[in-house]
Amino acid sequence: MLTYFVIAPILIAVFLYLLSSHYVAKILAIVVQAIFLGFTFFLFMESREQAIITVVGGYADSIGIILRADMLSSAFVMLTAFIFLITAIYALNESWSKLYWLLIYIWQGLIIGIFLVRDFFNVFVLFEVATLIVAVLILFLRERRSVFDGLIYIMVNTVAIQFYLFGVAYIYMLTGTLNMDIAAAVISETDKSQLILPYVLIMTAIIFKCALIPLASWLPKVQGIPRAPSAVAAILSGLHVKCAVFLFLQFQFIFEPVANHDFFLGLGLLTAILSIIMAFSQDDIRLILAYSSTAQIGLIIVGLSTNNADYGSLYHIINHAIFKTSLFLTSGMLMQIYKTRDINKITGIFKHSPILGISILLSILAIIGAPLFNGNISKYFIMDDIDMWLYVVLSVVNFGTIAIFVRYAFMLFGNPKNASAVLMHKNKVVSVLLLGIFSLFTGIFGVWIMNFLFDSQLSVSVGSYIEKTAIFAVSVILAVVLCKYRYRLTKQLNYVQALDINFRGMCISIGLFFAIMLIFVGFL
Amino acid sequence: MTFAQTVAILMFFLAFFGLITSRNIVKSIVCLVIKETSAIVFFLGLRFREGILPPIGESLSQPLEYIADPLPQALMITAIIIGLAVTAVDIIMLIYLTHETGSTDWDEVKAKTKARVASLDYE
Repeated sequence: MLTYFVIAPILIAVFLYLLSSHYVAKILAIVVQAIFLGFTFFLFMESREQAIITVVGGYADSIGIILRADMLSSAFVMLTAFIFLITAIYALNESWSKLYWLLIYIWQGLIIGIFLVRDFFNVFVLFEVATLIVAVLILFLRERRSVFDGLIYIMVNTVAIQFYLFGVAYIYMLTGTLNMDIAAAVISETDKSQLILPYVLIMTAIIFKCALIPLASWLPKVQGIPRAPSAVAAILSGLHVKCAVFLFLQFQFIFEPVANHDFFLGLGLLTAILSIIMAFSQDDIRLILAYSSTAQIGLIIVGLSTNNADYGSLYHIINHAIFKTSLFLTSGMLMQIYKTRDINKITGIFKHSPILGISILLSILAIIGAPLFNGNISKYFIMDDIDMWLYVVLSVVNFGTIAIFVRYAFMLFGNPKNASAVLMHKNKVVSVLLLGIFSLFTGIFGVWIMNFLFDSQLSVSVGSYIEKTAIFAVSVILAVVLCKYRYRLTKQLNYVQALDINFRGMCISIGLFFAIMLIFVGFL
Repeated sequence: MTFAQTVAILMFFLAFFGLITSRNIVKSIVCLVIKETSAIVFFLGLRFREGILPPIGESLSQPLEYIADPLPQALMITAIIIGLAVTAVDIIMLIYLTHETGSTDWDEVKAKTKARVASLDYE
């Protein structure tokens, strides 16, 4: 049964591609997506009772490809269907060729496949094909600069995924199977010293795909490509990277004997802090959002690496997908209206188009973790019951996020000087407004939704909630002051902004990361 | 560790050395292909023993311990196909860039492509 969830989007894509009428195909695409979302909800309700397992082709467990939907993976499948439905509504009026629709639905099938598959080798296959699909999608509106960045993207991704392939070979040598569940059972009885090399090889590739800081530069490069469709940039940081985060969690469980949590805790914090500095220094709205994505992923990794913040992090994955998709989609609309990506030239969104302004404001409030919004709930549970020093560092990280988005919110006010009278398409406004309202909705009923999705028993204590709200209020005031005086730091920030890493530098950083992690896991 | 695996690991490091030193995009792509081949050789050399039979045709009537493990071969066929597709896309992009800029040097291509898109404005 689970096979259909992977194959259906791909088959539908091919069918719609062959349909002669472009307009009918697009409408059908939306309808099919909505029906598909219903099916994924049905899958989620089924898997709540008991995990569903399908062996493709009916082979034995140790040979065939295993697909498994438990509560967690089916929740992410549901999220995938939802985000793709919204981006389909958003892209409805674009005059792009049918190729876009074909590729985007194949991509959907691949992402769902990564969430469901329980087989080491097929993760490699799905990731490689997804890399190719993304490369074609960002080059879709061809331009010189984007071809260069696309080439770097695809080559450096291949370099990283080959580490994974080597790691899989080691696993096969040690355990004699590629099934994750059987391999996990064998690994728990294997000698620790034999596991270090495959663990480090696999984790190097997964951390690369998660876009944590020494290996993060590919994500902003791809999302900063001038004419890459906004929907693609949104799915890239909303879902594509989350696949890697999901796999990170899986592999930490599988490699339990050698799994090192402190290393990733440090890496997550480093990523969060450095990305915030990078994001604060940028002028390009796409790059601001890209670097803030890596900061939030750092936060998620920190949460997954501490002892008791798993639910908060998992909920933050979902929330981040919702509000970051909204922010990327609105950035596409801003680029159409203002004909620029420079944050300093965009002013007066509220006066130009109030509904767009409201949906941007809702997403900003969600990402900075304002009370009542979904970001607040997930950040509350990430920061709940942790060490004092970590609490302070995460508060600083959150202050950084607030500073970035207070600066981003300055765009909302003032007079729309450079705005052109572009017709605001209703489908675009509806899709982003829907996401904004959804992030408010998942905030107000946050605890209830978390208990529903993860079958947990969480509750918010009033005392610490008030304490966190007070910290939030102080952070906002400080952030406004910081943004007012940002011009004094222009020289230093421009220096940070000009930092660029070339292909060789990326390869060196992958190699160095591999070596450092090997030393850390093997000898410390 | 079989002979094939030792060779594969050496190839891996050689290719990685090439990737971090070569200034030319063509050389980088060649190194990438070598690196991928090393992973394939490593996988195929996993359970290799002297005098082993291929898992096809008449040799299947032999006892199982004389027959090679078919799984790595099935997997590596997939990996080869994916590698082919990725390399093809790399080369298509490279051809496009070389037509536009007249160079295959990483830094030169970057300088020439970036100069055209200096500002954040459109049109």
